[in-house]
Amino acid sequence: MKELIEIIAKALVEHPEQVEVREICGKHTSVFELRTAKEDLGKVIGKEGRNAHAIRTILNAVSTKNRKRSVLEIVE
Amino acid sequence: MVESREFEGKTVEEAIDKACRELNLKREQLQIDVITSGSSGIFGIVGTRKARIRVSPKEMLPDDQVKLAKEVLENILNTFDVPVVVEGSVKNDQIYLDIISNGSGLFIGRRGQTLDALQYIVNKIVKKEISRCLPIVVDSENYRERRKKSLVDLAKQLGRKARKSSKPVASSPMNAHDRRIIHLTLKKEKGVRTKSKGEGAFRKVVVFPVRKGNSTRGGAQGSSSRKDPPQAGRDE
Repeated sequence: MKELIEIIAKALVEHPEQVEVREICGKHTSVFELRTAKEDLGKVIGKEGRNAHAIRTILNAVSTKNRKRSVLEIVE
Repeated sequence: MVESREFEGKTVEEAIDKACRELNLKREQLQIDVITSGSSGIFGIVGTRKARIRVSPKEMLPDDQVKLAKEVLENILNTFDVPVVVEGSVKNDQIYLDIISNGSGLFIGRRGQTLDALQYIVNKIVKKEISRCLPIVVDSENYRERRKKSLVDLAKQLGRKARKSSKPVASSPMNAHDRRIIHLTLKKEKGVRTKSKGEGAFRKVVVFPVRKGNSTRGGAQGSSSRKDPPQAGRDE
């Protein structure tokens, strides 16, 4: 799932090498922290948060399959 | 695009850089023809010639666009740990990507939300690569067609209800694509007119009955004013 976020984020930003995803595993819930270059933050969030929303929707689809919950945090 | 422009620079390289900056495109996206390659002359004084190039944005063939879009979607789906095949084709000036999987509806999600999210992201990524690209439609298990059918049925039902009760009837909130289908279906229908109401994700279609005598149909369709029409008052 970490890979999934990385692939999408890297395809959206201008500086893919600075994309970093950290997974914090919990019993039922995993938190994914996504970090990017400062000027790329807007690219992953998108207009009115649309990109972020779409990434979260896809992430939720994968996690339901794995019977888990996932939270995507975009860290400044 | 037949738009081509000429650029100058001391060297061909410099001219290309300039073109990239001004057109805001990457070098790979440009069709570059060198008109004259510059020369620095003798000692840089006598006979200096500037390099001139002609550039035009490269047009990508639809088949290549399909290939690229398919690749992007496959890359995303391969992280799902589910056997999946993507079939790409061009249909009615759209790139149609069909996800073939085990039929669990995993990629569709509730009311197609996963499908819409994938479609949105793939469009975003591909548009970033090639600025001019056909719209991409992501589908699985013929969901789009099925959804359209049920929306047409829903539209007709709403129309009947509005006419019978002589009161405006509102649909549940839906996205622009779904609303469009409702509008288009009821456009041909007599005795009703439609309008979208609400903001953002809560926008819905309201079907109004048209009273006999003042049947001013049309006009109501295109005007996208978001003000409440006077007849409204129900279904808030």
